[in-house]
Amino acid sequence: MTNLNQLNLQQARTGLQAKKFSSADLVKSCFDQIKHVEAKINAFVSTFEKDALKQAESVDINLPLGGIPIAIKDNFLTKNQLTTASSKLLENYFPQYDATTIKKIKEAGAIIIGKTNLDAWAHGSSTETSDYGTTKNPWNLNHLPGGSSGGSAAAIASNEVIVATGSETAGSIRQPASWCGVVGFKPSYGRVSRYGIIAMKSSTDSPGSIGKTVDDAANLLEIMSGHDPLDATSIDEGAWHKPEPLKNLEGLKIGLPLCYFPPEISPEVKQSILDAATTLEKLGAHIIELPDVLDPKYSIAVYTILQRSEVSSNLARFDGIRYGHDRSFFGEEAKRRIMLGTYSLSSGYYDAYYTKAQKVRTLICQDFDRQFSQVDALIGPVSPTTALKIGASKGQAMFGEIQDMLVEPSSIAGLPGISLPCAFDRSGLPIGLQIMAPQKREDIVYQIAKIFEDNTDYHLKNPKL
Amino acid sequence: MKITPIIGLEVHVELKTKSKMFCGCDANHFHVEPNTHTCPVCLGLPGALPVPNKTACQWCIKLGLALGCSINEESFFERKNYFYPDLAKGYQITQLQKPFAVKGHLNIDGHEIKINRAHMEEDTGKSIHENSVTLLDFNRSGVPLVEIVSEPDIQSSEEAKKYLGKLQQIIRYINISDADIEKGSMRCEPTVNVKIEDNGKAYYTPLVEIKNVASLSGVMNAIDYEIKRQINQYQSDKIEKNSSNKTTRGWDADKNQTFLQREKEGSADYRYFPEPDIPPLFFSSEEIESIRKTLPLLPDQKINFYKNLGLSDYDANLLADSKEFSEIFDKIISVDTSSEYVKFCANLLIGPLKTITLEVDKINPQSFKKLFDKKSELSSTAIKQLILDSYNSGQDPLDLAKEQNLFQISDTNALEEMAREVIKNNPKAFDDYRKNPLAIGFLIGQLMKVSHGSANPQLAKEIFEKLLN
Repeated sequence: MTNLNQLNLQQARTGLQAKKFSSADLVKSCFDQIKHVEAKINAFVSTFEKDALKQAESVDINLPLGGIPIAIKDNFLTKNQLTTASSKLLENYFPQYDATTIKKIKEAGAIIIGKTNLDAWAHGSSTETSDYGTTKNPWNLNHLPGGSSGGSAAAIASNEVIVATGSETAGSIRQPASWCGVVGFKPSYGRVSRYGIIAMKSSTDSPGSIGKTVDDAANLLEIMSGHDPLDATSIDEGAWHKPEPLKNLEGLKIGLPLCYFPPEISPEVKQSILDAATTLEKLGAHIIELPDVLDPKYSIAVYTILQRSEVSSNLARFDGIRYGHDRSFFGEEAKRRIMLGTYSLSSGYYDAYYTKAQKVRTLICQDFDRQFSQVDALIGPVSPTTALKIGASKGQAMFGEIQDMLVEPSSIAGLPGISLPCAFDRSGLPIGLQIMAPQKREDIVYQIAKIFEDNTDYHLKNPKL
Repeated sequence: MKITPIIGLEVHVELKTKSKMFCGCDANHFHVEPNTHTCPVCLGLPGALPVPNKTACQWCIKLGLALGCSINEESFFERKNYFYPDLAKGYQITQLQKPFAVKGHLNIDGHEIKINRAHMEEDTGKSIHENSVTLLDFNRSGVPLVEIVSEPDIQSSEEAKKYLGKLQQIIRYINISDADIEKGSMRCEPTVNVKIEDNGKAYYTPLVEIKNVASLSGVMNAIDYEIKRQINQYQSDKIEKNSSNKTTRGWDADKNQTFLQREKEGSADYRYFPEPDIPPLFFSSEEIESIRKTLPLLPDQKINFYKNLGLSDYDANLLADSKEFSEIFDKIISVDTSSEYVKFCANLLIGPLKTITLEVDKINPQSFKKLFDKKSELSSTAIKQLILDSYNSGQDPLDLAKEQNLFQISDTNALEEMAREVIKNNPKAFDDYRKNPLAIGFLIGQLMKVSHGSANPQLAKEIFEKLLN
C-alpha cells in the first residue's frame, strides 16, 4: 500500500468507501508525515491529532468529505480551537464560533487536523511575516512557499494532508499554489462566505481551496460555496457545482494578455506559459493574443491603497481591551499597513488616494468586461518568477504587491481564477499557470484547468523530503 | 445690541425593531442583564459581518417621508473610525455621503425648521463606571439608531423644546420608536452659538456642541445657560467663531451648567469610507411610494382634519396629541361627522373620559351616538356620568339612563301638574315672583326636587312663567 497521505481527495474517498482503509488510517498517515517533515516545513501553527483521531473513529464516510483530513488556514475561525491569523496578538484566542465555511466543512464530514501558517493577518506573499516562523517550500527548503496561504500550499505539496482551505485577497491562494506546485482555486468574490474569516481587505477577500488536483480543489470549493445570509456580500445562489469535464476545447476562445509578460518575468516562466497555451491550442482552444489589456502595474497602486485603508479599519477591533494582548503585538508589516491606511483615509488625502483608487478599480473592472466580450477566459503566469529564496521579502515593503502583480487585477475585479502546475524550472521549482474567467464563471476555469491537467503530468510529481 | 441664538439639534432615536441593526440579536436592552443580547456581530468579534436590518432601513425612510425629506434611491453605509472601549469594532457603521433621507423640514408655529438629514446607524455598547473600574455592556451595541440633524434654524430653547416635542410626536405616530428621552431611546445634542448685532455689525460666537443632556428640561436649561455664557464670554474675550474653534461641552444637570469636555472639535478625523461589508442599498421609487402609503395621517394633518370638522384649534390639538388618543376619537366619529356630533364627542373625550385610560377596542361609537341623539332628554351631568359608566361596564348608556331614571320629563302635562303642586305648596313664591322675576329659580329648584331631578329645566321655566303670569 502506498502511503495513504499521498492520496488525492478522489483516491482517498474511493479507498474509504471501498473500505480499503479507514478514516483513522488516513488521519494517522497524515500525522506520520507531519511528524516526519513538519520540522523542516513548518506548515502548521497548530495540529489537533487527538481530536482528529477521535473524530475519525465515528465519522460517516458517506458524507461528501466524510473522513477526509483537511488543513485550515489559521485565519478561519474554528470554535474552541486556537485561531491566530499567525499573529502573536491572538496567541490565546479560542473563537466562540465557527466560520460558515468551517461549519460546512464539518457538516461534510471532513476532519480538521490542524491550522496552517500564513503571513500574519494574511499580510504578505511569503509567510515571512508570520509570528510563528517562515514556512519552507517543500521543493527546496531554502525557498519560500509564497503566501499568504503558504502553510496550506506547503502542507498539500508535502503530503501532510489531503486538502486545505486558503483565502485570497490578491494572490494569496494562487501565488503559493504556483510556487508549491499544487492547485489553488480562488472563486468569484462572494461565491464563498467570508463570515468567520478574519477580515483583511473585506472588498476582495475570497476564501477558496487548495488541493493536489483540479478536481480536489473543485470538490472542496463545492462544499465551501453557496449563499450565506450572514454575509451581505455573498452571491445569492446555491452551492457551486463543477460541470462535466470537456472532451476538447473546440469553440473556446482563450485570451493571452501580452502585458502579463512584463520585462522582469523569468524567461523560463514565460516559455512555460507559452507552452501551456500551445497545449490548450492542441486541445482545440483558439488562443488569442490580447495587445491592449490594462497594464497590471496599475493594480498595484489601486490594491495597495484600498487594501491598506480597509486593513487600518479592520484591525481597529484589536484594541487591547479584549483578546489578551495590546496593539504592540502587531508585527512590523501590520503596523506599516495600519499607518498607510490611516493616512490614505485621512481628510485631505482621502480623495487623492482612496477615491482615486476606487475610480481606477472601476476602470480595471470595465477593462475585464471588454476583454471578456472577445474571449471566454484569460491565461497567464501567476507569478513572474518561481519561488524566491528565504529572506527575499525582508526589507521589501512592497514585496507582496510586486509578486502578486499578475493576480491583483482579477482579484480587484472579483473574478474567479485558478493556479495549476504547468512546468518546473531548471532548478526543479514548480511553475503555475493561471486561468481567469468572468465573474461567477468558475465552470469555465474548471473545464480548462481540468482538461489541461488530464493531458499533463506535472501534478503527479512529489517533492523529495 | 441685538442677540439671536443659533441652535441646531442632532437627535438620535433608537428604533424599536425586534432585532438589532446588523444581526439577529434582540434589540431590547432596557433593564436587561448585561451582555445577554449579544452575538459575534454586535460584539465585533473577528470575522463577524454585518447584515442590514431591512425593517430598520424602511422605518428610517418612513421617518424621512414623515419629515418631508427627499429619499435617496441609492444609499450606502460608511464606517466612522474612532476608538472607544464600548465601540466593539473600532468603527461605527453609519451614513455620511448618501443617507436615506435628506432635506426635510418641521413647522413650529409657522417657523420652518429645515432638516438636513435623517440617516441610519448603529448604537454603541455602554460603559458603566463603577468604583475604580469600567464595565462594558454590549446589549445596546448594534441597536438601530436614526440620527435626525436639523439646520441651525432654531432660535430659542422654547422653540427647541417644541421641535423636539413635535419630532417625538411624529415618531410615535409612525410607531417606530418610544422616543423616550428619560429612557434614552431619544437623545439630543444641541449645537449652540449666538449672533450678536452691535452698531450695524454682526458677530458670531464660537460653536458649542452640548453632550449628556438626559431630559427635555435639561435641553432647555442647557441651551439657555449656554446662550448666556457665550454672550458673557464674548464680551470678555471678543473671540469669534472660526473653522477650528468648535468645542464640546457636557451638561451637568446638578450644577445646572455646562463644562468644557473637548476642544478643537474640528480636528477630529473619523476617516469615513464606504462600508465594504455591505453593498449599496437600492430602494426603487415604487418601494418608497409603498412605504409612503403606510404613513398614517400625521399630527398636522390630523389637526387640520379636526378643525375642518368644526373643532377649535385648542380641541383639535388636544385630540391629535397622541396617535392612540386621536384613533379613539376617529373611531367615535366614524359613525357621524356632523359638526354638532363631533363637538359633542370632543367635549366628552377631552372632559370626563380624559380622566381614565381608554382602550380603543373598548370604545363603542354607538354609545356616543345614542347619547347624542337623546341629549335633549338628558342633563349634561347625566351624559358625562353615562358615558363613563357605559365605557366601564360595556352597557348601553340609554339602558343605564332608564335604570337610573335619568331621562328628563318633557311631558308638558305632567310637568304642569307638578308645577301647580309646587305653587300650591309655596304660596309666598307667587308674591316673590311679582317683586322679582328671578325668584322663579326657587320654584324650578322645587320642581326638580319633586321630579327627582328628571324635569327638563328649560321646559319647567316656560311652564312656571305661563302659570304665574
